[in-house]
Amino acid sequence: MAVDLCRSFGEIRAVREVTLSVNRGEIYGFLGPNGAGKSTIVRMLTTLLRPTSGRALVAGFDVATQASEVRRRIGVALQDAAIDPLMTGNELLQLQATLHGIGRADARRRGVELLERVGLSDAAHRRVQTYSGGMRRRLDLAMSLLHQPDVLFLDEPTTGLDPSSRQNLWEEVRRLNNEGTTVFLTTQYLEEADELAHRVGIIDGGIIVREGTPADLKVAVGSPTLRIDVNPNQFVSAQSILSGFGEPRPARQGRLAIGLDDGASRLADVVRSLDEVGVGVVHMQLDAPSLDDVFADATGRRLEGHSEDSGDSQ
Amino acid sequence: MTIASSASTKTGRLALSERIPLVPVVRALVRRSLVAITRTPSALAPILLMPIFFMISFSGSYSAITRIPGFPTDNIYNWFVPYACVQGAAFSGIGVGFTTARDLENGFFDRLRLAPSGRPALIIGPLGISVIRASFPFVTVLPIGFLLGADFPGFGGLFMLAMVSAMVSGISGLWALGVVFRLQSQRSLGLVQIGIFSTLFLSIGQVPLSVMDGWLHGAARVNPTTNLLRMARQGFLEGVTWEMTWPGLIAGIAMLSLLGLFAITGFRKVEK
Repeated sequence: MAVDLCRSFGEIRAVREVTLSVNRGEIYGFLGPNGAGKSTIVRMLTTLLRPTSGRALVAGFDVATQASEVRRRIGVALQDAAIDPLMTGNELLQLQATLHGIGRADARRRGVELLERVGLSDAAHRRVQTYSGGMRRRLDLAMSLLHQPDVLFLDEPTTGLDPSSRQNLWEEVRRLNNEGTTVFLTTQYLEEADELAHRVGIIDGGIIVREGTPADLKVAVGSPTLRIDVNPNQFVSAQSILSGFGEPRPARQGRLAIGLDDGASRLADVVRSLDEVGVGVVHMQLDAPSLDDVFADATGRRLEGHSEDSGDSQ
Repeated sequence: MTIASSASTKTGRLALSERIPLVPVVRALVRRSLVAITRTPSALAPILLMPIFFMISFSGSYSAITRIPGFPTDNIYNWFVPYACVQGAAFSGIGVGFTTARDLENGFFDRLRLAPSGRPALIIGPLGISVIRASFPFVTVLPIGFLLGADFPGFGGLFMLAMVSAMVSGISGLWALGVVFRLQSQRSLGLVQIGIFSTLFLSIGQVPLSVMDGWLHGAARVNPTTNLLRMARQGFLEGVTWEMTWPGLIAGIAMLSLLGLFAITGFRKVEK
């Protein structure tokens, strides 16, 4: 069922033997930094790019040999909402309907229904060039849903959106999923994967490094992360003391981080030990494991653009 | 990898065609292009103004060639008006190349490729757009040419000119698509233009073969555009004959076939 999916561009191996399975009715989150290979995998799964090797089935059809059958069953909203700015929302939906072989009456009815659903009824007759980024994304989503796809691919759907538009889109994705649509979502936002996905695949350098439910992945990381800032001249002493409390974890320069064995119950011991050797603590925080910790645990790096302070502090 | 279908969980599903017919898709793509033209009419300026400019300037600069013994007409506009129409048709291919390159760059072409409709529509659609765009210079250059003094070529002559314009717009459209599919960038349009301009200039566009010399004569003689121009001009010069028509038809069909292959193989590169 799962076959080693590979894609090379010349000498560059963008995707290396990726194997995964998405269940019916699931939201699968594909999390990784820029350039990890997320979009390349989506392009292969949506028939836009041929795999160099390996095999992939979407909705039961082979993406390489039954591409047309796959296209009938998928809806795709790609990273950049590629929408003709000269056309109106309505015209684009009608064009999409024709491309999918939907009759005129059905196309009109479905167009009205979807525009209402994504809150664009009032803007339907306006040219897309007058739409905001959030409106374009919503129209893109409506277009991808027009033919009632079984599987919906969303490639970084909220990149560049303000928090409110992001929330609205999340709600819509949840609603679609509740109605039975399988969703394959790529994102570089930890929160998005955490909030939406039933299962998450973490990808880095074209390889899936972790896969599971967000809860299971976090539990697997183990202990919460203790982050401490000390005076620079006491850094080495503090490092030595902390090594007795848990394994070091990746942290930004000048900060110490460890996986604190036994969690918050050892916090007082850490403070006492540091105090005994005269290390002055400038800042201390204990974060429950996040998907970023899962990523760091798997790759030794933090996710690009993600602040290490954004975890849930205890 | 398997991503499961959830079709069975849905109710009230749309009736989708088992096979998506080609014609409505091509019509929808052509309509999209016409909508774009009505909303940015300035985009038509090059294909309307350039042939008119060339027609007037060439007719002025080359007016003396009608005095060459054996020149097929004493009216310079009879020589240059059909050429300007063919030029306008050729320029329509550049417009199609521009639109396709922009769609490839901004991702709209991916949306078209994601549709289950057949791949031929993605080549025939732009081709239809090219032919329709070619009709704009035809209906503007020709009346201006008649006003300036060109003789009416008869309905047979007009039909020949319209047929050549349609073929040339198809040829230039396929050339543009082949280049743009391969390079997938608007920068490729320079190459598209060089191809179109050099093919037009290395033909009997300006002067007949009899007054050409050296390599230019050789190039114009083997250039299939020469046959197309003879076919387009015949109504304006000595009347429509089969002898002037069949070489043009063969040249047109051969160029359409070869460049069709060029566009299809280019499209396969996009699919990789």
